[in-house]
Amino acid sequence: MSATIAPLDALRAALPALGKRVGRSTRTDDERLERARAVMLGELDASHATYLETCLHCGMCADACHFYIGTNEAKYTPIYKVEPLKKVYQREIGPMRWLRRLVVSDISLAELEEWQPLVYDACTECGRCDLMCPMGIQISPMIGIMRRALAAAELLPAELAGAADEQKTQGSVLGAGRNEILSLARELEAGGIHVPVDLATADVVLLTSAVDVKAYAGSLKATAKILNRLKLKWTLLSHSIELLGTGESLKELHVRRIVEEVVKHEAKTLLLPECGHAYPALRFDSAHMIGEPLPFAVLSIAEFVGREIMAGRLKVKHAPTMGPVTYHDPCKIGRHGGVFEEPRAAIKALGLDLKEMESHGRTNYCCGGGGGQFMIARGAHLRHRAFEIKMREVDDTGADTVLTACNSCRLNYQNGAAESNWQKSVQSVVELVAANLGD
Amino acid sequence: MTILEFARGPAFQAALWIFAFGVCWRLAGVFLMYRRFDRSQPRRHHLVAGGVRAMVMRSLPPHELEKRIVFQHVSGYAWHLTFFISLLFFAPHIPFFKQFLGFGWPTLPNTFALLSGAVALSILLALLWRRATRPVLRKISSLDDYLSIVLVILPLATGFMQYARLLPFGMRYETLLGVHVLTICALMIWFPFGKLMHLFLAFPARFQAGVLLQRKGVEA
Repeated sequence: MSATIAPLDALRAALPALGKRVGRSTRTDDERLERARAVMLGELDASHATYLETCLHCGMCADACHFYIGTNEAKYTPIYKVEPLKKVYQREIGPMRWLRRLVVSDISLAELEEWQPLVYDACTECGRCDLMCPMGIQISPMIGIMRRALAAAELLPAELAGAADEQKTQGSVLGAGRNEILSLARELEAGGIHVPVDLATADVVLLTSAVDVKAYAGSLKATAKILNRLKLKWTLLSHSIELLGTGESLKELHVRRIVEEVVKHEAKTLLLPECGHAYPALRFDSAHMIGEPLPFAVLSIAEFVGREIMAGRLKVKHAPTMGPVTYHDPCKIGRHGGVFEEPRAAIKALGLDLKEMESHGRTNYCCGGGGGQFMIARGAHLRHRAFEIKMREVDDTGADTVLTACNSCRLNYQNGAAESNWQKSVQSVVELVAANLGD
Repeated sequence: MTILEFARGPAFQAALWIFAFGVCWRLAGVFLMYRRFDRSQPRRHHLVAGGVRAMVMRSLPPHELEKRIVFQHVSGYAWHLTFFISLLFFAPHIPFFKQFLGFGWPTLPNTFALLSGAVALSILLALLWRRATRPVLRKISSLDDYLSIVLVILPLATGFMQYARLLPFGMRYETLLGVHVLTICALMIWFPFGKLMHLFLAFPARFQAGVLLQRKGVEA
């Protein structure tokens, strides 16, 4: 492994404390249950209804899920994870509700508690099951509803509840807030990398993430280097960080705030860091949240870099010989975002020998720790099982290096590799491009 | 009134009305529900084309997915195909359709149609066994899953018994024919209430998934 995991240890060390942040609920169990039900009923629409009515219970989705494949435990079947949501649909709004109420039991808080590990520890919302279903059922968005319903019932896993509380009350994520972002920017400036922070207007607005600030500062450095090379008028936002997305209303609040910021800056482009979890929210969901199409483009940094290379505006030298490489498609920007071509264009421009995994592109296996899963201590064994699948696929390529475009994935790879004594280097496409900029 | 007269007369009429009204009710209940309008900038255009493509391509998953589901996948399509061949092209069924619809169509040789029915029946029995024994399927199955499969098996089974003149309990041929029609009535009555509705919902579900994934720039 090329990168030290010391910063990752520092990040993970902060996690247990998060679980202690949130005190006992002041709501009754009935209130919590009704809050969950309200979220489910508020979010279910005709598309979910079509999916829930069409499910054949064929179980094929299990064979797409890394948690089921890794454990062979039936409870990890993706469609089973939305069972409480299905019950609410069938009893409350489905067209046959008058009949279903006779045979389908109502949800209870105890049942939602039982489902907490299924939707948080054993699902990364990677969406691989969405591709497998012969009916086209999109299960992962419904797991998203389940998660928001559980959050409304104050049933977030302790670490995520702590992180959500931190985000809500302090505006920081995992200890990364405005002061830490400003401090990192100053460090980069001192090292000769210009980082314009909070300019009044800019063509390109850049967000950073907690994972970058705490563990992968090199990612921000690389991004700054590339944006400066392109001579763009850009700025880094210090008071908005890529959102974490836990909590029923937190995601929407953060999306709205970020959209307002970008509009205020009169920017044409919002660049998201090498961390995928905000990508679907800002690229696709935000327009619905604010009620109109966004007046700017949303791009992940790897997507942006790939496009600039493909357009010939960014010149890249061949990277020093590093043996064959493989590319891990981050679920959030790949399967949930359609960014497949651009990172591969960058890899090609670097002159690297790309060996694809058997499951790559839209069918890529998740790293095992996305969707906040990596923060949940009790989910470590599941993460490990999922990562074993990943290791096998990488090993089969014969590649020495795994490249990716998401630092959360990179974090999971590096942790998984350390735990399994797996000797592969895990690197960032964007950092590799920044290290090999041409004239 | 004999069992056959009851089955062909009031039972079939009632089943038909329940089937038609139930299907319309359930489809209307789903499609008239509020639908979120996606205002995001699509990565790919031709969203409708993406939806239509998904209606076809969902039957052909990529190899890395397909390799884990070969039996379910192949058996699923095989029983549907053979079931509809035996239903629609078995010569003794055509006079019924002609009487009901006012027109008929060419049939297949009885041996071929019967063989199709036998394949469908065998696969359905295997799928029922599988559902009752596999942990994943047991976990996600409800009464609907078992009832639906049994209600599809019954017309096939009674049809074979009738053709082979296997008359249980000293039953007359006409009575068994009446039972055969009653099993079809039962299937039609249950149809709108259970998972058999996927006959009408599968392609809309695939279409909307195709539109969504086309917007994101992902092959559905």
